[in-house]
Amino acid sequence: MRQSNIGWLFLAPATLILFVVGFIPFIYILYVGFFDWNTNALDPTLRWAGLQNYRNLVFDTTFLSSLARTLVFAFIVVISELLLGYVLARALMADRLWGRQFFRTIHTLPIVVAPIAVGATWRLLCVPGFGIVPYYLKLWFGIDYNISTNAYHAFGTAIIMDLWHWTPFVTLSLMAGLTALPKEPLEQAQIDGGNKLQIFWYVIVPMLKPVLLTTVFIRLMDALRSVDEIWMLTKGGPAEATRFIGLHIWINVFPKTDYGYGAAMSLLTLYVTIVLSWLLFVAMTGRKGGAQ
Amino acid sequence: MNNFAKAVGVGFVSLGLWSSTALAQDSWWKTAAQPYQGATIRGISESTPASKYVEQVLGPKFTEETGIKVEFEATSWDQMYDKAIKDMEANTGIYDFVYIEQDIVYTYLARNFLVDITKSLADNAKIASPDFKPENFTTFLNYFKDPKSGNVMGVPMEAFIKPYLYRKDLFEDPAIQKAYKDATGADLKPATTHEEYTQIAKFFTEYGADKELWGTTVQASSSHPAAFYEFFESVAPTFGVYNWGIDGTTFAATEANGGQMNSAAAKKALNYWVDLLKYAPPESTSSTWDEVAGTFAAGRAAQGLVYGENAAWIATDESKSTVVGKVGVALPPVEAGVMEAAGSGKGYIGYYDGGAFGIPHSSKNKDASLLFLQYIGQASVQTDWALAGSRIVMNSTYDDPKIVEQDQKMNGYYTLMRDDGKLFAGAPPYPFHSQVLQVVAPFIYKAIVGEIKPDDALDQAATAAEAELVKLGYRK
Repeated sequence: MRQSNIGWLFLAPATLILFVVGFIPFIYILYVGFFDWNTNALDPTLRWAGLQNYRNLVFDTTFLSSLARTLVFAFIVVISELLLGYVLARALMADRLWGRQFFRTIHTLPIVVAPIAVGATWRLLCVPGFGIVPYYLKLWFGIDYNISTNAYHAFGTAIIMDLWHWTPFVTLSLMAGLTALPKEPLEQAQIDGGNKLQIFWYVIVPMLKPVLLTTVFIRLMDALRSVDEIWMLTKGGPAEATRFIGLHIWINVFPKTDYGYGAAMSLLTLYVTIVLSWLLFVAMTGRKGGAQ
Repeated sequence: MNNFAKAVGVGFVSLGLWSSTALAQDSWWKTAAQPYQGATIRGISESTPASKYVEQVLGPKFTEETGIKVEFEATSWDQMYDKAIKDMEANTGIYDFVYIEQDIVYTYLARNFLVDITKSLADNAKIASPDFKPENFTTFLNYFKDPKSGNVMGVPMEAFIKPYLYRKDLFEDPAIQKAYKDATGADLKPATTHEEYTQIAKFFTEYGADKELWGTTVQASSSHPAAFYEFFESVAPTFGVYNWGIDGTTFAATEANGGQMNSAAAKKALNYWVDLLKYAPPESTSSTWDEVAGTFAAGRAAQGLVYGENAAWIATDESKSTVVGKVGVALPPVEAGVMEAAGSGKGYIGYYDGGAFGIPHSSKNKDASLLFLQYIGQASVQTDWALAGSRIVMNSTYDDPKIVEQDQKMNGYYTLMRDDGKLFAGAPPYPFHSQVLQVVAPFIYKAIVGEIKPDDALDQAATAAEAELVKLGYRK
């Protein structure tokens, strides 16, 4: 009992910080979401709107399409990074790979680049007329690649940029997980005659599940709130082809100063993220909640 | 010998007068800045040639003379607004002076973001420099006065028009002139109508097919407000559609309600502008003002509307521009009757842009910032600043021999600005500038990429703009 009280004492600073930077802003956003509030309106004061902001969201096609676009983007990048990350992790763990350390270092470098710099760099590579990507795609394959007119090109480039930036994170996480796996079950599975696919699916994946779950959670949440990289690459365009939900909320909250509506959007997006994470947790663990 | 002695004598007297004047000036700044010695003032601005001059020259010189340190952040247009507005909204006081673009000043005034410079100097005469005289500025200063009190709220630091630049070397090449005559039956000269402009654009795109040369630049980013600005502030006025097509008294945007945003003239303008993309280099749909200047400087376009802040370096800086000595300057092409309307003050033919530095209410060093703003508002610093940034905010600057010399290299850009600047106008005085822009711009983007037709884009944009104005409480 005495030990438990000391534990609370140690937790107090972190709890206080979380309360101030997490809980209070959350309550404030919840509060603002019930008001019509625009500091650039003729009447810039908060006016009670009840659930009107949430009602409007249901009919706001720009918001709904931004949300749908973000979910598609997140689904594609998380799955792709998981698969690619696993393949790379196994490749970089192979004893036969010459210069393994060098490749590991090179592969890890994108993680340390700031997202804003990643976006700017990819923009320079891809901007039509000047970038080397459209130049060589035209020269070698005759492709008129243009991220400022073709929605598919812009969306595809956003995905490739995200894969380049974050696959190394998945690779590192899985390498750490794979390295920590006990050898005995694998050897036992080999003795029992399991082929590579069976060993992977029935032995490695279950043992790797905690690492996979953590990695997928982190990447999913990151992908759902992508803003800075996309902003630098396409600014949400062409037209609204890459206007992901984070960008859409930012535009409503800052340049448009529509705080009430922006708060409602943020809360709904948070709710979607929580639901998705819970579904993922259930799917991967077969349980509906609670601690391991 | 006598003449020589006289000359030497006059020289010494002049030097003495100059030195005493300089010393007197030095002593005034030093004396006035005494209470603020060691203070640091922080400013933020868009990274433009004029801002870079403040960062690299005026800031350090001010520090040297006063002991007040100037930290200056020259960043992108978006970042500048984002940071400055958040700072002023939250009252954090990170910035002591901020860039106020001509089009945003009405929003800042409506939200009481700015310090009243006239009043502050009247209240504290000790820091009112004798060399800072608002009457020295051009009428551009009027954009930064509070309409209610007439007091100065910002010190102009750049001002320029958006002229029609063309490649003089190409337009004056006899072989090209003949080819143009053969192809079109007309003489090759800077366009005065939209039909001529399109014809020239088409001709040069065909002529330059294997030369990395296109007929025109277009500031038509498919996801950046630059496209909105190019259309509503540079192109639509040349078709007689002013103030973004919004009625300034009823705040109607649709033609049905008395607005002009989706009028026949506006639709003709958007169709013309979008059509120009056929004759523009591929980067045009990614181009903001910076990229348009870059495209023209790289020699990739025969003509274009280019913000004048870039005119000087494009025309004179060989380290950045491949078209030095080849740049011609003219007024933008217009529809019939528009030039006359502009001449009589009932309309305008393009954008008179620029900005000022103002002091946010949240600043923690208001007096030191006032000193700095007056320092950059002296007549003596204007010439070199204009040479570096092709911006002129004072009448006296136009007559300076250095400016006259640069004007010749720029084929008369400054002369055009002085003589015909009155034909151009700044953004309409709307406090809802950013809000309407964000609502309307997506429809312009969709027209650029061909997602919707220009006519539909303007119909939808006008309806959306009106709805936003109702929501903001301006339109009943």
